[in-house]
Amino acid sequence: MTRVLLVEDDTWLAEVEASVINDAGYEVHIAPHAPAAIDLVDSFKPDVIVLDVLLAGSTAFALLNELQSYSDTGMVPVVFCTNIADQFDAKKLKEYGVMRVVDKTTMYPADLIAAIRSVE
Amino acid sequence: MNRGEGSFEVTPLVAAAHELKAPLALVRQLALRLGDEHLSNAERQRLLHQTVLTTERALRLTSDLTKAARLDSALFQLEPINPDQLCRDVVGELQPLFKAYGRSVAVKGRRHPLLLVANRDLLRRILLGFSDNALHYSQPGTAVHLQIQAFKKSGVVRVGVRDFGPALSSDMWRTLQKKLDSAPQTIHARPESSGLGLYIASQFADAMNGRIGAVRHKDGATFYVELQASNQLSFL
Repeated sequence: MTRVLLVEDDTWLAEVEASVINDAGYEVHIAPHAPAAIDLVDSFKPDVIVLDVLLAGSTAFALLNELQSYSDTGMVPVVFCTNIADQFDAKKLKEYGVMRVVDKTTMYPADLIAAIRSVE
Repeated sequence: MNRGEGSFEVTPLVAAAHELKAPLALVRQLALRLGDEHLSNAERQRLLHQTVLTTERALRLTSDLTKAARLDSALFQLEPINPDQLCRDVVGELQPLFKAYGRSVAVKGRRHPLLLVANRDLLRRILLGFSDNALHYSQPGTAVHLQIQAFKKSGVVRVGVRDFGPALSSDMWRTLQKKLDSAPQTIHARPESSGLGLYIASQFADAMNGRIGAVRHKDGATFYVELQASNQLSFL
């Protein structure tokens, strides 16, 4: 079963997104912030990371830099799921391993699943 | 706006839009989830409750924005207020929201009562805003504390909201302190925050001749407002 790490600091949104991902047949774990995500990358070994950008404690980019520092974690595809999707250049994000950007303000559950499927 | 690495220019208008985007996006996702016909009745009730609480948070922000925009033209009555009682009122108001998030909120009371000079509505709004912020940053299962401290020498009473969440890095802390010193202006409380909440709080505090500030802890932060102690203190 494909393992998805969901990094989202809003508890209720994380629960909703995790339910959607779970219903689609994926195993999902939630990390509420970057340090928890780093721990789960080691223990859960996700195949895909769904990552909110504006997190409590530090931004997603601190986590991406950490992931990119290691050859194995740097290979894990990342899907940005964010309220500020319009502020990113998709080409630049690929340098950080971000393969898809999903806009939280307009997405439907199927969009999130489609993004995960496209990178897994 | 796009720097590609998460740095954004923030104006009050952009900040307001940003701050409202998150609850609106959440309400939308909750509503979409409610459309799932396989949900149990209990799950449906839980999602509905979350939807109501989220809209109430968003409405509080719109109300604060309106209030802040009219500060100049409004007349505010400053009066002696018992901060302990006001903190208890705020806690009572926020209890359902904190409970729904699996957190708790409580007043860490003082042995000796005291009074400060403030406008009840503005101080209430500041404390609600700080508590809302603390809710977001606190860890599940932890408590947020509303604390009252008196500084006799300076004649100031400090009412603070302490959370137990991720520590701010030194860089973030320096930025926050710099911005707090030159408030009121748009300031960044924490990375994902536009700083609008603190901007509004600083305006409300200013209208009451007070100031806001923050203390960093290894396991969280305290955001506080300082106001003049009331002369009626000695009568208590």
